[in-house]
Amino acid sequence: MNGGTPSATLVVDPAEGNGAAQGRAPLVALVGPPNSGKSTLFNHLTGLRQRVANYPGVTVERRSGQVSLPTGPVEVIDLPGVHGLSPRSLDQMVTRDVLLGEQEGARQPDAVVLVLDATQLNSHLMVAEPVLGLGLPALVVLTMADELDRREGALRVSRLSGELGVEVALVNARDRATLEPVHRFLKALHTGGEEVRACPIVVAADHVEGHGAGRPLPMIDLFAARRERARALGRSAGFQAPRLSRSTQRLDALVLHRLWGPLIFAGVVALVFQAIFAWAVPLMDGTEAAIAASGDLVRTVLPESWFRSLLIDGVWAGVGSVVVFLPQILILFLFIAVLEDSGYMARAAVIADRLMHRVGLQGKSFLPLLSAYACAVPAIMSARTVEDERDRIATIFVAPFMTCSARLPVYALLIAAFIPAQPMLGPFFGQRAAVLVGLYALGLVAAIGTAAILKGTLLKGRPVPFVMELPPYRLPSVRSVGARLLDRAKVFVRRVGKVILTVTVVLWVLTQLPVTPDGETPPISDSALGRVGHVIEPVIEPLGFDWRIGIGLVTSLAAREVIVGTLGTIYGIENQDSQDFELQAALQRDLDLGAAVALLIFFVFALQCMSTVAVMRRETGGWRWPILQFTYMLLLAYVGAWAANAIL
Amino acid sequence: MRRTDNSAPTPPDRTLADVPLEEEVVLVRMDVAGDDVESLLERGIVPGCKLCPIRHAPAGGPTVYRVDGALVALRKETAACLCVRSALEAAGVLASN
Ligand SMILES: Nc1nc2c(ncn2[C@@H]2O[C@H](COP(=O)(O)OP(=O)(O)OP(=O)(O)O)[C@@H](O)[C@H]2O)c(=O)[nH]1
Ligand SMILES: [Mg+2]
Repeated sequence: MNGGTPSATLVVDPAEGNGAAQGRAPLVALVGPPNSGKSTLFNHLTGLRQRVANYPGVTVERRSGQVSLPTGPVEVIDLPGVHGLSPRSLDQMVTRDVLLGEQEGARQPDAVVLVLDATQLNSHLMVAEPVLGLGLPALVVLTMADELDRREGALRVSRLSGELGVEVALVNARDRATLEPVHRFLKALHTGGEEVRACPIVVAADHVEGHGAGRPLPMIDLFAARRERARALGRSAGFQAPRLSRSTQRLDALVLHRLWGPLIFAGVVALVFQAIFAWAVPLMDGTEAAIAASGDLVRTVLPESWFRSLLIDGVWAGVGSVVVFLPQILILFLFIAVLEDSGYMARAAVIADRLMHRVGLQGKSFLPLLSAYACAVPAIMSARTVEDERDRIATIFVAPFMTCSARLPVYALLIAAFIPAQPMLGPFFGQRAAVLVGLYALGLVAAIGTAAILKGTLLKGRPVPFVMELPPYRLPSVRSVGARLLDRAKVFVRRVGKVILTVTVVLWVLTQLPVTPDGETPPISDSALGRVGHVIEPVIEPLGFDWRIGIGLVTSLAAREVIVGTLGTIYGIENQDSQDFELQAALQRDLDLGAAVALLIFFVFALQCMSTVAVMRRETGGWRWPILQFTYMLLLAYVGAWAANAIL
Repeated sequence: MRRTDNSAPTPPDRTLADVPLEEEVVLVRMDVAGDDVESLLERGIVPGCKLCPIRHAPAGGPTVYRVDGALVALRKETAACLCVRSALEAAGVLASN
């Protein structure tokens, strides 16, 4: 660690104007232990919507944003949470590299904002030493002022500031009104205010630690001494640790109860599935009606032409058949966001730890796997928090088995077409929801089984200790849940707009070719698309699929839900003469139950998602794992679908 | 592997895994192998810190401990590597030193 030069070098001569005159805005890094509120603060400062949730290890990448101040712009970066600067996992490595200026193509920050949870001041102050020891100008932000207050803790900010030699602010990161001191610090970076100071004392302590004893201290002693100093700091700042939150105690008594715990877990799962099926119906009907009405409108407005055919039979049928599922996906995300933001996920990880242990993984792997229910891509990235490299690879290898939201349209379409809507366990849990649960469970079993195989063979290793911090339960903030839904809706619309629209148009063109001698479009099974389909057909015939499904399977390689759009287009063109065709009815006609179940099972297992393959390549640094993963999952899908079709 | 030597005459130590719920103990020694110990250390679980088991997860899962006003869950296997002494007893030993 360097000896800190209390730097005032980035202060700009007032005559020159603000930082922009110097060419670049001051760079400020948000650093601190996991779950201390860095991303919440970042969002308030920059107006961006970085993901926030109530469990440690949410942020796994560097993310930067601009704060516009009257004095000029400041660039702020949000970083993964760390307890120190000796990284043991990939996300911690990111933070270390950024702070030391060792990240490629990025300069060292000009200042740090150290974000600590005020309710855990004693242990969080331990990270102050290595971070402030960098010698950069610093502001210490203590978050959770509201909770400290509610739980009867106390703290003298001015004394802590005196001890550390830098500004200290006690804030509620969720409440913009309390963030004034942070803005003041950022402004001072331009004006050279006295708020901008590096910490002198801790630097010296760190210096002694490294060299004073003549040899490096054993790690345990080093940390014990660091903790002692942190506690001494806390004491002189008059820190009184808050009592444990009563509501957290009461909720944990239920959620981690021997009997109630697993029951609550099952209840939550059942509720989510039922909501997706039963409660989304009015919304979906509304969306469907809107699509149909707008399609009819376009039909009456436009004259009969190839363009109208492309628009109505291609785009409206294709894109529309996917858009219908937006309400279901949003409901799923609503539940995920509320669960993550409340603090329940960390408990779920604890409950699942036994199971994870049995297959050779740690409870930490459970959080990425849970988030894979939304989408495998961020899940694979969030596995960076898993410390053991072999565990991490095993986790990301099995993550795509978890049922992501892109599978939902496919499941929902087929289930609605083939499973009657009958109640099963009372009015709150119907047969369709039960089948959906079955499909999710199948994916989970595949994930766990595969992880067990991997950890027993290719990725054998010794178990690492499981340390899971359980944050207090927090009321999910409307802001972050709303942001999550909005972002998701945008992602969905963008995907529909780009991938599905493109595929739909290409498919439509392929169905119009080759033009017959008398200038007519060919019957669809003789069209270019039909011919391609018939080439594929022999391969998938054993699974009970016809050429249309074959085309759908090929296009769904881009993204899973594309198959729904594809089938919408193909059937839309086939039935262009009938006024309103029903995708469900068409499927009921062309697939028998065995083939429908085979198709579902194929989607449970197969890795039809190019984004996942790409992120796997990036996160494993090569093609080996993604290729292995793709092949393995495809084989499993084929064999599973074949078996289902043969049996039923 | 013995990491921290405790040269005071040691009464028979217990491991954290043996501590009944709601009994506060002081950590005296950590027998965790290699670098793994760091994930405990950096969260403030170091010799001298107080731990109190407050809840077992269902089906033999991890136990939740109160550490420095926060909640941390540890597996049985990890807890069995941590030697502890009851908080009262530890206070006595310290006083007699
Ligand atoms: N009551 C209260 N809650 C807060 C405060 N700051 C953050 N939170 C909540 O604490 C949780 C964690 O916040 P994040 O901003 O995701 O924390 P982080 O430091 O970015 O966490 P990692 O990305 O995991 O390192 C969320 O549930 C926030 O809503 C605060 O000042 N008061
Ligand atoms: Mg974050």
